Amino acid sequence: MATLSGRGMRTSLQVAPLTIQKSRGTSRSRGSDQADSSSNGFSDTQMTPPATPNGAQEDHNVHSDSEPVFHNFLRAFYPFQPSPVMTDSTVTLPLNEGDVVLVHSIHTNGWADGTLLLTGARGWLPTNYCDAYNPEEMRSLLKALLNFWDLMRSTSVTDETFGSQEFMKGIIAGVRYLLRTDCLTRESPLVQRHDGLRRSRKSLLSELSSLVKTAKRLQDAQRIPGQEDINDIVDEMILRAFKIIVKGVRFLDILDEDRKLRVPTVTILTTLLEEAYAPLTPPAESAAFDSTEEPTPDAGSRSGENNDATDTAPLAASEVAQDTTAANDRLSSIHLQTIDVRRLSQCSQVQTNRLSSTVSHRVSLAGFSSVLRPQNLVSERLNTCHDIFLSHLGSFIGRLQLQSQSRPSLALAIKQSATSGGELLFVVDIVCAQSSMSMDALEQSRITMYDRIMGLVHTARDILTNPGPEVEEDVIVPQDNGRLLGAATGCVKATGECVAKARWVIERIGDFEFEFDGGNLGINFDLSALDCFSEEKDRFNGSELESIAESTASEALSVSTVTSTAAPAITSEPTLSIDKPLPEVPQVASPVTEQPAPYPNRPTAQQSSHVTTAFSVVSTASSVRGDLTQLPKISTSPPSTDNYSPTQHSATQDSEFHSFRTESITTLSSGSGRTYLSRDSESSIVSQSSTRATTPDITQGPRNQPSISNLSVAESSAQTEEVDDVESKLLERTYAHELMFNKEGQVTGGSLAALVERLTTHESTPDAMFVSTFYLTFRLFCTPVNLAEALIDRFDYAGEAPHVAVPVRLRTYNVFKGWLESHWRDETDRDALPMIKEFAEVKLTAALPQAGKRLFELAEKVSLSGGTLVPRLVSSMGKASTSTAHYLPADTPLPSPVITRSQLNMLANWKAGSSSPSILDFDPLELARQLTIKQMGLFCSITPEELLGSKWTKLGGIGAPNVKAMSSFTTSLSNLVADSILYYEEVKKRALAIKHWIKIANQCSLLHNYDALMAITCALTDTSIKRLKITWDSVSVKRKEMLKSLQASVDINQNYKVLRAQLHDQVPPCLPFLGMFLTDLTFVDVGNPATKTSDTGLTVINFDKHTRTAKIISELQRFQIPYRLTELPHLQEWLNSEIERVREKDKAGSNAQATHYRKSLLLEPREAQQLRSVVDTSPTTAPAATGGGMFGWIRSNNTSHNLSPQI
Amino acid sequence: MPSKYSYQPCREFNVVVLGAGGVGKSCLTAQFVHNEWIESYDPTIEDSYRTQISVDGRQVVLEILDTAGTEQFVAMRDLYMKTGHGFMLVFSISSRTSFDELQTLRDDIIRIRDDEKIPIVIVGNKADLEDQRAVDRAKAFALSQRWDAPYYEASARTRTNVDEAFTDLCRQMLRRDDSEEEAREEILAQRAENLAAKRRRRRKRKEKCAIL
Repeated sequence: MATLSGRGMRTSLQVAPLTIQKSRGTSRSRGSDQADSSSNGFSDTQMTPPATPNGAQEDHNVHSDSEPVFHNFLRAFYPFQPSPVMTDSTVTLPLNEGDVVLVHSIHTNGWADGTLLLTGARGWLPTNYCDAYNPEEMRSLLKALLNFWDLMRSTSVTDETFGSQEFMKGIIAGVRYLLRTDCLTRESPLVQRHDGLRRSRKSLLSELSSLVKTAKRLQDAQRIPGQEDINDIVDEMILRAFKIIVKGVRFLDILDEDRKLRVPTVTILTTLLEEAYAPLTPPAESAAFDSTEEPTPDAGSRSGENNDATDTAPLAASEVAQDTTAANDRLSSIHLQTIDVRRLSQCSQVQTNRLSSTVSHRVSLAGFSSVLRPQNLVSERLNTCHDIFLSHLGSFIGRLQLQSQSRPSLALAIKQSATSGGELLFVVDIVCAQSSMSMDALEQSRITMYDRIMGLVHTARDILTNPGPEVEEDVIVPQDNGRLLGAATGCVKATGECVAKARWVIERIGDFEFEFDGGNLGINFDLSALDCFSEEKDRFNGSELESIAESTASEALSVSTVTSTAAPAITSEPTLSIDKPLPEVPQVASPVTEQPAPYPNRPTAQQSSHVTTAFSVVSTASSVRGDLTQLPKISTSPPSTDNYSPTQHSATQDSEFHSFRTESITTLSSGSGRTYLSRDSESSIVSQSSTRATTPDITQGPRNQPSISNLSVAESSAQTEEVDDVESKLLERTYAHELMFNKEGQVTGGSLAALVERLTTHESTPDAMFVSTFYLTFRLFCTPVNLAEALIDRFDYAGEAPHVAVPVRLRTYNVFKGWLESHWRDETDRDALPMIKEFAEVKLTAALPQAGKRLFELAEKVSLSGGTLVPRLVSSMGKASTSTAHYLPADTPLPSPVITRSQLNMLANWKAGSSSPSILDFDPLELARQLTIKQMGLFCSITPEELLGSKWTKLGGIGAPNVKAMSSFTTSLSNLVADSILYYEEVKKRALAIKHWIKIANQCSLLHNYDALMAITCALTDTSIKRLKITWDSVSVKRKEMLKSLQASVDINQNYKVLRAQLHDQVPPCLPFLGMFLTDLTFVDVGNPATKTSDTGLTVINFDKHTRTAKIISELQRFQIPYRLTELPHLQEWLNSEIERVREKDKAGSNAQATHYRKSLLLEPREAQQLRSVVDTSPTTAPAATGGGMFGWIRSNNTSHNLSPQI
Repeated sequence: MPSKYSYQPCREFNVVVLGAGGVGKSCLTAQFVHNEWIESYDPTIEDSYRTQISVDGRQVVLEILDTAGTEQFVAMRDLYMKTGHGFMLVFSISSRTSFDELQTLRDDIIRIRDDEKIPIVIVGNKADLEDQRAVDRAKAFALSQRWDAPYYEASARTRTNVDEAFTDLCRQMLRRDDSEEEAREEILAQRAENLAAKRRRRRKRKEKCAIL
């Protein structure tokens, strides 16, 4: 009974929208307004697109209660049909209620650029018809889709991202998250109890499995290029991913419905009232219906809002006239489709949904939430049929080899095989029909298969009917066995091929649902010859195989007439052949849908009658809210009429066929509606109307109880292997939903467990950048003990999924190994050692004895050596790709040093104790080279660890000795420059020193030694030096110009814009300015929080921060490649002593800058300058904005220079 | 000769943030320039430190120069100081030494800019760590009065007074810019006057010569 009423519920739910009352209930006001606006839009064909959605007052409502947040997903709460005018100029998407849309952008006028997940069609849609969609349960999946979309759209497909299934994880985890509720396992009580849920879950999983398969195909296609167009596959994957969402949404709907049901609510009385009044207002055109014999006045009196729909009245009215004669008012309702089938379809669906959402206790009346459409996936069916066929043939072949066969058993076996073969062929035909694109290959193998089966049947018949002379009894002779065997194996082979092709086709076109009845469906072979030998007396019809329509005709009414959908046939007496369930006319191959005619697809009564018959007996009990709309302008029908009878009543009061009919119409119309939506010009109505079953579920509101027929099919069809596969994947414990990704598919956040999982993924070698980032930075977000725990945990739970356990465990071991070998830092990591040792000894040894032993040995070694065992390759991030050899072949001759004998002598003398030579005594090039060698040595010794966590700024840089050494050298170099200039009393000498340093700086620049360049230019522009105007006057303009351009290349303005650009294109050897990296690292550290909140509200590690850190470090490491220059020990020594000298000065005196300034004042006293500036009458301190920042002084210097002669 | 400023609706200033390492000045900068809509902060792009604010109805573009991370490159300090139109001197209220260092920084600024009136704001950061306070508020105010520079106690963590301090500095820079402009125009006018006078004199002299 439950099933029956559920079934009834289903019918009524579909019909319900058409009985909607407009003038009652507060909750409906919004809907009716909308109806007006949408009907306006429709009838007036508004020219300005925004007017339609924005014209409604609701716009404000919708937006006011939502925060100004960009919603990635919208769900239509109301149908929207673009008027022809609108569609002409722009691509405007029609919406069904419940449609979920991926939003790309929202224009300020309220139109959003979005992709309809149902169809993958992209276009404009009015946001005021939609609500933001982001339910908690779906959040993870929706986010995963966003990532997936971004990834598939933005990344080049040749990218190695797709080399693994890694990018699929998000989606899988999203589905898992959704199912996590109570439905993760097939055995969970909720799934067991709730059939609709079970189905929806299954279809979701099967969709997921096909996505996974497609992803595998993508991998294959990448390995063997040219086989398949990768872009096609990518597109297909996107569509599949969309479908998963659609299914997910549907699943959630059912779940919600179920949850509501479990809350005991209203009394039956209220329910009844609700039943009568609550349905929300549909748009005028479709909502209108005639419930009584005199529709127009009735409607007019009831609903003023619908008057604007009168323009459609004439047509509808005529329909009414015809209709009322044909049947009662309920039947007439069919003809509301005359207005516009597509529209109707949408409306009806929509309201179904709406109804369900607003008056859910209505459903509770029935005691059941019902599933609207069973899921009969063709792929499942195909597999089942194939299995059955193979098992029949298999047992037949097996028996043949036993050599003795009785005739009846042979006949039976053949018959069984042929029957199941016929069924299989039928499925194949459906697939064929579905993919109207000429699937020649499939066609071909289908024919072959058919021939083979026929061949088998004929052979068997020959043998059976023409017994050889030597044959006694009912035994088949061995010779015949051979023939049969050949025929049978031929069948197996041909079938295998055919099924494989069919699967391929299904994959291409997308799995779809198809309502199979449980009975003798299928292509029938002429088995009459066999019949006499078998007990089974079933006679089969001829073996026509031309069209499915014909084959089905043997079961039910001829559906072929249905193909003439466009014919304005009017209701005939509905034939009430309450019959076996029939598949819902997927074979309605009509071209009608290709042309979006203004009044297309008037579903004929005939059609409906056929469909009617197709519905199962169960429906006798079904209640009918049969009041269908007839006239667009009439909206209301009185609840007094039996039309409004609630479920229980209608079952008794109304004749069932009304309900059947109405249901069938909705079905049909929705099918055609979908065709309209589809952009796939190739798809025929067949595919559309059958895919409908898979696709529109969200628009169909609560899916509750499946019909018996569906049940039977579902029960009989075993879960497919793929679904099982995906299921098992889902059942794996995973933290993948705790990961966050950016548009490039890189991990930006995640819990430690999720990151560790990513690190030890079994599907691919983990991303190198990710691994090195992890090793480098993990101490910033967890303790070594945490990491060890997480890894061990990973090792443990990998065991729950046997097929991944081995690779995952190996990877876990490898992570430990890598840590101990190359990334161990004893001072911090020591705490984790006992845990690692224990793990190695016990768990790891138990699972992987060799590995366990080795890890234990490593741990022992590490604890002894207290440091890393294998030379660090962290730098592999940068270095691996830029090996020294690449830029500087080892055999490149070293440039010969520019140093004379006398210079060397000078150095020798200095060593011997005589006076020190000066900078001026050496060639600028050689000085630049030796400086560079010196600095590069320091730079190369910087380790990545020193650069983490702003260590160099903390505790006097104790944790970053090399960074400190490098920066202090740079500072000392600056001081040396200033010191060597200020050393000279004579202006000429000072000018000479300045010139010399400019030349050295220039040589540094040519060597790409930006660190020295920065140090020297800083010194030369330092106030102490720059104020030496008299000295600068003696420096040639050429040198000053040179300095200016050198300065420009290390300009600190605009965040080192110039310097960055230079470094970006620079190949090693090159010595970048360390300070820039230090600033970047500091700001990454302070500018990014340590944690972030994932979409599911979880606080996770902000891995993005660490990735950025690692990126900067790897960029720095890119340059840690020594120059190939000859080191001159004596010169180096002298330089060291010079640096040491200024450093000592710095330490002794207060600060070098101040000392230099004092010296500078001494050399060129202030008074003189002030005097000059007074003479100049030029502003002393030109604001930098006018003077061009740091070069201001040069200019002012020049101007004073130029001005002075004039005065 | 009209000043080019009168045609610039949007002014641009360089603000230099100075202070000892570890006072959290980079946090202040990051807080100030961080656009909340951006999920993660990338300091390696050109306008990482550029931000636009509105001060008293005037749009101002600020380029923040922060020495964070490069405090050890003492030689660069001069470079920074030369580029700044305004300075934010940051210390941590929990560190006495960081407060004492401000004096040197200011001396350097004054020396390098040769300007006593350069816009400066003193910021005592980490105001949220009241229990660790090592610098009395009175001391800070005394310094503020001595320098004639406003003092703010801010917290980058709680985002208290961050914007306020920057806005104050901006206001100072704008005011100074305006008065400078006036002064400049005055000078230019005077110079033009002088030039004209000179020419007149020269012409007179020439005339004389001709007569002679």
